[in-house]
Amino acid sequence: MNERKTSIFDGILGDNAVLSGLMVISPVIICGNTVKTAEALICTFSAITFLSVLLGSFVPKKLPYTVKVIIYALISSIVYIPVREAAEKFYPDSITRIGIYFPLLAVNSLIILQSEAKFFRMKKPRMLASLTFYIIGFDAVMLLTAFVRELLAYGTIRSKMADVNTLISGLGEPFGGFIFLGLMCGLYRKIRSIARKEDNTRGDLNVSGK
Amino acid sequence: MYLVNDIIAFLAANLILSQALGTSTLFVAADSKRKLVGTACCITIFTTCGSIGAFMIRKLLPSEYADLTLLLYILMIGVLYVGFLTAAYFINQERFVNIRKYIHLSAFNCAVIGTLFTMDQKAANNPALFTMKEYVRFGFKAGIGFITAALILTAAFRKLNSSKVPSSFRGGPAILIYLGIISMAVYSLK
Repeated sequence: MNERKTSIFDGILGDNAVLSGLMVISPVIICGNTVKTAEALICTFSAITFLSVLLGSFVPKKLPYTVKVIIYALISSIVYIPVREAAEKFYPDSITRIGIYFPLLAVNSLIILQSEAKFFRMKKPRMLASLTFYIIGFDAVMLLTAFVRELLAYGTIRSKMADVNTLISGLGEPFGGFIFLGLMCGLYRKIRSIARKEDNTRGDLNVSGK
Repeated sequence: MYLVNDIIAFLAANLILSQALGTSTLFVAADSKRKLVGTACCITIFTTCGSIGAFMIRKLLPSEYADLTLLLYILMIGVLYVGFLTAAYFINQERFVNIRKYIHLSAFNCAVIGTLFTMDQKAANNPALFTMKEYVRFGFKAGIGFITAALILTAAFRKLNSSKVPSSFRGGPAILIYLGIISMAVYSLK
């Protein structure tokens, strides 16, 4: 059996929401092409997801699945209202650029599907820690994607010119986002499988050295 | 010639290929052809019926309460969600267990909510589109677009999951790159 013990840090590397679960990928593909937009998305995604899952954890578990999912979505759409107001003050330009992807953050898979399947099965302190690392995992992927795409597509970093000789303008387009994310997913899987092999080898050595 | 133009316009407006809406759902549903087609059909029903609700909400909601749009959309989709589950149960109780999972997967996802907000954006830019007929047409078209993307994916699904693809890229990453290439072709049609 190749069963692996789950850890609260899984959200960053072991089971990254974007690279492993392929969740919340639309904003990464479309909006993850400049660092400024990515920063706005990261802040709003983190606030909406953390607060929604936290509030959702108080919903009685005995309710039918359909009712619970509707309540989670309603909670996140209520949380979305003040978060949007705050985001409009801090990132007025980026919010306009994000457009329709902004309200979509409120119905992301981490809130609607993963909360019920994963987070609410844990004890609250562990759930909050695990959720935080899942959010950090998304944030890291979003920031990295935006940094590389902005640099290679527009030759800038946070709208400041960088010394890049060759530009690949297509990387800033949605199709560039699809391809870049696909390549990142493949690379992530490769690194993860190497890391797990090393862990297993170390584990075997420890057992045999007992 | 008109037909060719229509097909090009239809592909260029595809929500998955041009806006990446509903891509996550596509991956969840992509593990079997049946599930993919079932989910795509359910999403079409949700986008079409949801667009009627979205039009009514937009029409009745005063502009100073525009911040409540998402909340009302979620509430409306929640009502549709319960309504469809109830209808599916009474129409065919034997098949209910199978149909139920497609409805669960389709209700709250980016493809449905994204379609409603995209239509709102289009109507805001062009007031002539703010009619029930246009909303329903767009909602239906978005659903058909999802089915088209699902069929395009189904065509290559087995090959993208075969042992010939390096294990790191097998499945999800290969599908993303494949969708990227299709999206590039669609982009060039614009």
